[in-house]
Amino acid sequence: MNKIIFAFAILCSGGLKAQTKSNFVKENFTKIDTTISMRDGIRLYTVIYVPNDNAEKYPFLMERTPYSAGPYGDSNYSNRIGPDTNLMKEKYIFVYQDVRGRYMSEGTNLEVTPYISNKNSKKDVDESSDTYDTVDWLLKNIKNNNGRVGLYGISYPGFYASASLPAAHPAIKAVSPQAPVSDEFLGDDVNHNGAFFLMDNFNFMNYFGKPRTGPVKDYGSQIFDLNTKDMYSFFLNLGPVKNSQSEKYFNNQSYIWDEYLKHDSYDAYWKARNIRKHLKDISIPTLVVGGWFDAEDLFGALETYHAIESQSKNNNNMLVMGPWTHGSWAGADWSKFAYQEFGSNTSNYFQDSLQTLFFNYYLKDKGNFNATEATVFETGSNEWKKYTSWPPQDVIYTDYYLNNNNGLSLKKGSGYDEYLSDPSKPVPYTNGIFGRRNNEYMAEDQRFASIRPDVVLFETDVLSEDITLSGKIIADLLVSITGTDADFIVKLIDVLPDNEPNIKNAPKGFQMAGTQRLVRAEVIRGKFRNSFEKSEAFIPDQITKVKFNLNDVAHKFKKGHRIMIQIQSSWFPLVDRNPQKFMHIPEANESDFQKAMIRIYHDAENASKIVLPILQNAVN
Amino acid sequence: MQKILLYVFINFLVPALYAQNADSSWFINNYIKIEKMIPMRDGIKLFTSIYLPKDRSEKHPILLERTPYSCSPYGEEFDSYYWTTNTYKEYSREHYIFVQQDVRGRYMSDGVYEDVRPYIKEKKNNQDIDEASDSYDTIDWLVKNIQNNNGNVGVRGTSYPGFYATEAALSGHPALKAVSPQAPVTDWFIGDDFHHKGVFFAMDGFSFYSNFGKPRPVPTKDYGGGFTTPIKDNYKFFLEAGALKNLATMIGDSIKFWHEMYKHPNYDSWWKARNARVGLYNIKPAMLWVGGLFDAEDCWGAWNSYKAAESQSPQSNSKIVMGPWYHGQWSREGSFLGNIRFESNTSEYYQQNIEIPFFNYYLKNKGTVSGIPEASIFFPGENKWKQFSKWPPDNVDYKNLYIIPGNKLSFDSVSSTLKKTDLQNGYLEYISDPAHPVPYTEDVHDKRTREYMTDDQRFASRRPDVLTFEMDELNEDITLAGPVIADLVTSISTTDADFAVKIIDVFPDNFEYPANIKGNGKSYPMGGYQMLVRGEIMRGKFRNSFENPEPFVQNKITHIKFELPDVAHTFKKGHRIMIQIQSSWFPLADRNPQQFIDIYKASNSDFQKSIIRIYYDVNNQTKFILPIIKN
Repeated sequence: MNKIIFAFAILCSGGLKAQTKSNFVKENFTKIDTTISMRDGIRLYTVIYVPNDNAEKYPFLMERTPYSAGPYGDSNYSNRIGPDTNLMKEKYIFVYQDVRGRYMSEGTNLEVTPYISNKNSKKDVDESSDTYDTVDWLLKNIKNNNGRVGLYGISYPGFYASASLPAAHPAIKAVSPQAPVSDEFLGDDVNHNGAFFLMDNFNFMNYFGKPRTGPVKDYGSQIFDLNTKDMYSFFLNLGPVKNSQSEKYFNNQSYIWDEYLKHDSYDAYWKARNIRKHLKDISIPTLVVGGWFDAEDLFGALETYHAIESQSKNNNNMLVMGPWTHGSWAGADWSKFAYQEFGSNTSNYFQDSLQTLFFNYYLKDKGNFNATEATVFETGSNEWKKYTSWPPQDVIYTDYYLNNNNGLSLKKGSGYDEYLSDPSKPVPYTNGIFGRRNNEYMAEDQRFASIRPDVVLFETDVLSEDITLSGKIIADLLVSITGTDADFIVKLIDVLPDNEPNIKNAPKGFQMAGTQRLVRAEVIRGKFRNSFEKSEAFIPDQITKVKFNLNDVAHKFKKGHRIMIQIQSSWFPLVDRNPQKFMHIPEANESDFQKAMIRIYHDAENASKIVLPILQNAVN
Repeated sequence: MQKILLYVFINFLVPALYAQNADSSWFINNYIKIEKMIPMRDGIKLFTSIYLPKDRSEKHPILLERTPYSCSPYGEEFDSYYWTTNTYKEYSREHYIFVQQDVRGRYMSDGVYEDVRPYIKEKKNNQDIDEASDSYDTIDWLVKNIQNNNGNVGVRGTSYPGFYATEAALSGHPALKAVSPQAPVTDWFIGDDFHHKGVFFAMDGFSFYSNFGKPRPVPTKDYGGGFTTPIKDNYKFFLEAGALKNLATMIGDSIKFWHEMYKHPNYDSWWKARNARVGLYNIKPAMLWVGGLFDAEDCWGAWNSYKAAESQSPQSNSKIVMGPWYHGQWSREGSFLGNIRFESNTSEYYQQNIEIPFFNYYLKNKGTVSGIPEASIFFPGENKWKQFSKWPPDNVDYKNLYIIPGNKLSFDSVSSTLKKTDLQNGYLEYISDPAHPVPYTEDVHDKRTREYMTDDQRFASRRPDVLTFEMDELNEDITLAGPVIADLVTSISTTDADFAVKIIDVFPDNFEYPANIKGNGKSYPMGGYQMLVRGEIMRGKFRNSFENPEPFVQNKITHIKFELPDVAHTFKKGHRIMIQIQSSWFPLADRNPQQFIDIYKASNSDFQKSIIRIYYDVNNQTKFILPIIKN
């Protein structure tokens, strides 16, 4: 979710698709800074841009944010407002609000504020009630409004957009949760299937997790200085996660970091922070947006869509998935990424053909909006696809069995593969030396991993025809380990042919031929294989089923390519190291970390497999 | 040795490009070219290109290069080498007579080619020919037939031509006054090109020899191309190729030497005859041995030819220059290599202060060589040239550096620092899996990189099959000057294994090069950089003898001691000394099947995993002997 800072940088920079004069906002809007009282008396700082032209009445378009509603002050204008330039020019009453307990708002901030279903008093507040109260105030106090409100937000603000939906104010007519944080234990940001995303959160909480004593315009410096150009070395030298609380680092100064380390299973804390279960009976039009290469909230986009869809009979819910990193659909140009050329400007397409039309239609009754249920960019073929459901109807979930001799096929194999997983030499998540988590790892050539002894791989024969996957992937493994816990990372990879032409202007030495391009990867902390609430130790050397989902894909493996699966037991420092011993990992000492021999079985009785969502009759 | 191919390649293609520039027009206007077939004592004639200066103001010396890579272009066209190489630009301004010759059996020369043709010490008749006699006969013909020569001949050559320069020095022709073998091919089993300590350098060998080794039934100007594959990833190519015998199939029956080499898995009399050092006695001309500390091909040959000349021919006038260079870099830009910067153009220093004065003095009696010391050695780290009257220098302490618990290194041994109770598990182990060999470099490459010799080793540190040991941060500079000896105490679960040892300079976490120091133009995170200073690999079965390999007894403690090529390097204060041990270095080195077997005959199914232990307990102390310069 920290990537949003980068997204903001894009939004605020001058690099917009249609160059807009930097004083457009100032010339066309009047800015009002105010505070709005919530039902419990807490006042939230709110910045409102009202169009000067009052020839028509305008709807509100609001973003609620923990990242500051600034710039603050009536005379300090942002150069760019709204979710995209089209909408800014369309003129809405744009509203930014510091959420409760952040920046200039009063109150106490809670991490991913739990939703209260049965509110008993005015003291029972949450993001739904704060949005309700804000909307109510806006309708009554801001002149020339048309009585309709839309909400949007990317990443953490995406969560606040989702959180406006349950028990929504009737004036809320359109909501677009984009890469919304939805469940930080199962799939977003903080943990994936119970495995802790150490690097992202360590770096994010150093900034975001800093406490304040009252409203501030600026949180000041980070909790600690971290000047490293090599994250892998830094986190390996840091040692067990508990060392993050040393005087040099968090030193218990971040309440959120404390909470993360305290809640190492899917307990009441995390369950209260799962907004998905409250996204039921939602009939407000929703446009859920996510990126296939989003390292933070890919799960949130897909699962927010699914939650609304499956729990709301009369929904008007749509999904847009593009070839995007976290928030890159909001930028000026997104036509290539990680040596892939998409053949068109996909962020433009989203802004012009989906987002602008969506809000104009539902908030202004302007134009038409007839997007299909799911607008999905298919990687591999690099084409936009429109489906009446997601996943599409005509998908057959097909078992691909791991075979001996590194094979992957429709037939069961024999034997097993094994590797030694050594926590002192974890498998890197990316190739090279980086001082930050890169985005490219989501689509990176995995040859650096294939050549390690602690990564096992399985690949199909060269495909004689295209195979298109659309939907979720299931890893269904039969394993045994010599320790009592282990992580399992499963990677789905598109292997390009050896004669694949090189890209134009390739960097010196770069070879596209034979690239093992990552399509999707996911991790599970083994002890959660049967329940995220109640972890279970492995019995050493006993064959054990580990089954989990990988996030959806829409990808075409072209004829001449191969489908490859890699399995490994570390993914560092993206994910913290598993001591490979059943325990509370945030309490582990260095001496608890032990090597483990990991076996992946693929005989007829213990047939590990990957279930792939194969689209039938895929139309080119 | 293959770098020279690049020169040849450039020579073929570049003349048109250079035809217009000032240097080329000057050369073309001031020289004439002739081609001759020079007869040898056995009647075989060697194709020779001669570039004669038009200048007649004085008599001129002859500078000869004998090459297996062709003295092309043939015919009237001039070789751009003479105006694109800095040193030759200087020699042409001095009006040297330049001679190139196709060695016997190559390109346009008659006769039968033999790789690293054995030196015949006692020649009985005119049929007993070798490269020394061909050099003698060529020099003799030149001084007698080339007009306006001053009777002085020099020979120069880099890589394989370096071998021919060494052999020329053994000709004993009185007109031969100065020889500079540069990165000379010297011993293809022990340390150069094809093998390092018995380990086959399959990647370099294959890419070089599939072309070089093609048969030539009659003289030719062009051998055509070598083996080609669509696979652009040489790690994948060689892994999929599998056992060495499969490479032999791919290269084909016509490449005779390749198959001949396979018949000699040990250091037998065949290989010993091809050790260029055997002839280095009673050397008469002044010798200038030149090499690169980071030469992936013939670093060993440069150091060890010089050492052999010193010990076997003590009266000879031999000098050595070792700079921070890849193969042949001393003729090119010398300010950086890979990510490592040297703070000056070291090649220019060498050209202007050493090589040019050397030939001018001995061939033209011009200037002086008093400024050329016995050994001119560049020390990366400190980034300074140092002069020595002897190599390795006298003021060196050979100090033991021990592995101690905690993946550390210390000059204090385990027994002196720890209680016995700490030593119950005095070993570390890893599984060496021939199906996943440790790469020699990061990333995917089509060709063997030359930069791997100074590459960041963090990619290797992160592997479970690489052991890493590190000293504490240095509180003063430590300078190594001479050979490093690895003295490993090991046990393996099988009957053979390889041992690669890498000496690494770990830069401080906050290290950055100042912007004003010339580099390769790429930004690379240098903080915490693990710079390879020296790496060498040893095939375990040769630990007691290269002639008679011996299997390991499984799981039995075994000593392996071997010498790494000399190091000249300053580990700066604030840096750390790191050593890595691994059992593969792929595809640079062929994979060891990890069983005692003739590896050239092994099948894919012979390759097996081995558990390798490295010991550091009281009785079994792995150590490294470092040549440390005394303050």
